[in-house]
Amino acid sequence: MPDDGGNLSIDFLAGMTLFMIALIWVATMIPGLLIGLQSRSIDYDAVAYRTGVILVEDPGMPANPPWEIKDDLQKDEIERFGLTISKETPNILKISKVERFFCSTSFSYPDDYRQRVIFGDRPYQFNISLTTFDGMVNDSVGDIKPDGYGYIRRVVKMKYPSNATIQDPNIRNSGPSANVTTHIFSLNINCTNLIGDEINPAYQINPLRDQILVNITNLSKARVFTNLITGDLLYNPCSLDSIKIYRQNPSQPLVQVRTVDDAYIDGGSNLSAIPPVPPGPIVNDTVSIIFPAGFFYGMANDNTQLYINYTFTLTQKDNFFNNSFTSPYPYNYDPNKVTQPKLKEGVLEVAIW
Amino acid sequence: MVNYDGQLYTIEGVAAGLIMLLTAFIVVGTTSVYTPGDTHITDMQLEQMGSDALHMMNTPNTSAASAESALQSMIKNNEKDRFGETFLSFCDTTAGGTTDTLQFSADIYYHKSNPMPEGSVYKVNFTESRHLTGGEHAVRVTEWVQVDNSVGGVLLPASPPLDTRVQAVLVEVLVWRD
Amino acid sequence: MARLNDDAQWIVLMGFMVSFSLIFLGIVINQSTVVGQTTAEGVLEFPKNDILNVRSAIFQSSTLQSSQITPLSLTDVHDDIISIAMSRKNAIVSYRVKCQELLDPNCVSKIIDIHYNNGVTAYNETANY
Repeated sequence: MPDDGGNLSIDFLAGMTLFMIALIWVATMIPGLLIGLQSRSIDYDAVAYRTGVILVEDPGMPANPPWEIKDDLQKDEIERFGLTISKETPNILKISKVERFFCSTSFSYPDDYRQRVIFGDRPYQFNISLTTFDGMVNDSVGDIKPDGYGYIRRVVKMKYPSNATIQDPNIRNSGPSANVTTHIFSLNINCTNLIGDEINPAYQINPLRDQILVNITNLSKARVFTNLITGDLLYNPCSLDSIKIYRQNPSQPLVQVRTVDDAYIDGGSNLSAIPPVPPGPIVNDTVSIIFPAGFFYGMANDNTQLYINYTFTLTQKDNFFNNSFTSPYPYNYDPNKVTQPKLKEGVLEVAIW
Repeated sequence: MVNYDGQLYTIEGVAAGLIMLLTAFIVVGTTSVYTPGDTHITDMQLEQMGSDALHMMNTPNTSAASAESALQSMIKNNEKDRFGETFLSFCDTTAGGTTDTLQFSADIYYHKSNPMPEGSVYKVNFTESRHLTGGEHAVRVTEWVQVDNSVGGVLLPASPPLDTRVQAVLVEVLVWRD
Repeated sequence: MARLNDDAQWIVLMGFMVSFSLIFLGIVINQSTVVGQTTAEGVLEFPKNDILNVRSAIFQSSTLQSSQITPLSLTDVHDDIISIAMSRKNAIVSYRVKCQELLDPNCVSKIIDIHYNNGVTAYNETANY
């Protein structure tokens, strides 16, 4: 007959009590054991190192076409950020990639960066800063750093874009062109030579991917002529009617690709529009155009010859600015024609917490 | 009335309790928390930064045919102070504006060709920010430099002397934080 | 003696279960703290900077201008790199430079075979330079 009397022996109670006391004591020690598991600090340095390598040793994905020329609407096509010029030149960063990376209007902190440079399952907070030794670049993205964080510091060099400043002796051409009022000044960007002559990406001018700046200056000096009767110095006012871009691929005819619709005239800080129908704006001294990085990417390839033709209309006939009968101004590696800035030192820091 | 029947559960309970407590004490006592020094994380950060600094010093700033990197001209012309200043400026500058405090000690290893016996590698002290006392926890970073000692320059004072030819030397720098 | 009374064995069994789970927990925690350590040691152990350095030293030596080449100069730089790498970096480096165009006196484009082995990591490359 089963024993359902409902009372337990003393022995059982004593043993069970001792067991429960010991069990509770051990259970209260467990949280102390798990403190190490909750601390994530060892992970932070590894993530910071990985982020540093992604930024400083990798050109980003996609590399062709480069991710920095994608506009804000195509943001989703960017899989990974990377600041270096190419895989063969680690630690040498391209200024156009740097400016795009730190552009707060294009990419929002933290989500856009987490998916493309931080990675990992945990929502890490971060701060990425880049400073050049001469102070020209001082960018950062992210929160203020707390007291404890994972950290890496990388030393880098920055490559700045090239520019051509065309001054008086280069403008004045005495070709067989008769005195005319319509002048065409042509600039030639020979992609074959630019890409072929310098194979090291750190020093190469790649017109398809780099920013190109063209300054035509000293126009006032070039247009001075003396009134033969009075001996006074007179200016020959000119207006910039159009800037056209032509392309010639091997074994194909020369075609016009597009026009440039605005430029910086006479040192103004705002762009002046060049209307499609002449007359254009009056130019006294300087015309500057900035072709941003990737501007020529869609319209040219590695073997294209590009011509940028400025058409000026003068009031009086003259023969100073017309190189259509001689040769176009070459954009090449000659330091007298094109200025290539030196690489500048900088430091990049990544903090993760 | 006392009998021995009542010992069963008590003994079992005591035994189980003892086992648990003993195990808990052993386990808690053996798991250790690693400090960043044990995990070599600071070593990794220093090594990466020192390598970067030497690599950037060995990269010419322009592509002119005769362009030498800063490191090549420093070794060719024995410019010890300039090496120290440049290396420390690379290592100590931070993005936040504060400066770090690193120390270094640089040596150059070179090889002499015929008619010396093959495989003879010699060392010459280059420069240092302060003497190594032996208590520093330093990391070693290296950089290969091609030095043209055939024309001009000031040969490093070394014994045996460097060959007057184009040669590859190894710059080895010990970097530590005070 | 009669059969041992093992009615209360379950208490000891519970005790053992708790102990084993504690030991298991201890092992898991021990391994987790090692994660950060092996990451940093893995980074230190992989000779990324060594390999990149040796590559660029080899490429530089292969572009020695003809005016700098004395009869033994190219082999001298080759010996420099191999000897110093062996004695200071504890790495075996061997490389060979061949001209892509066999009849080109200036040897403008070269094929370079590089082998690097530091006992833990081996790196082999055939580069066009």
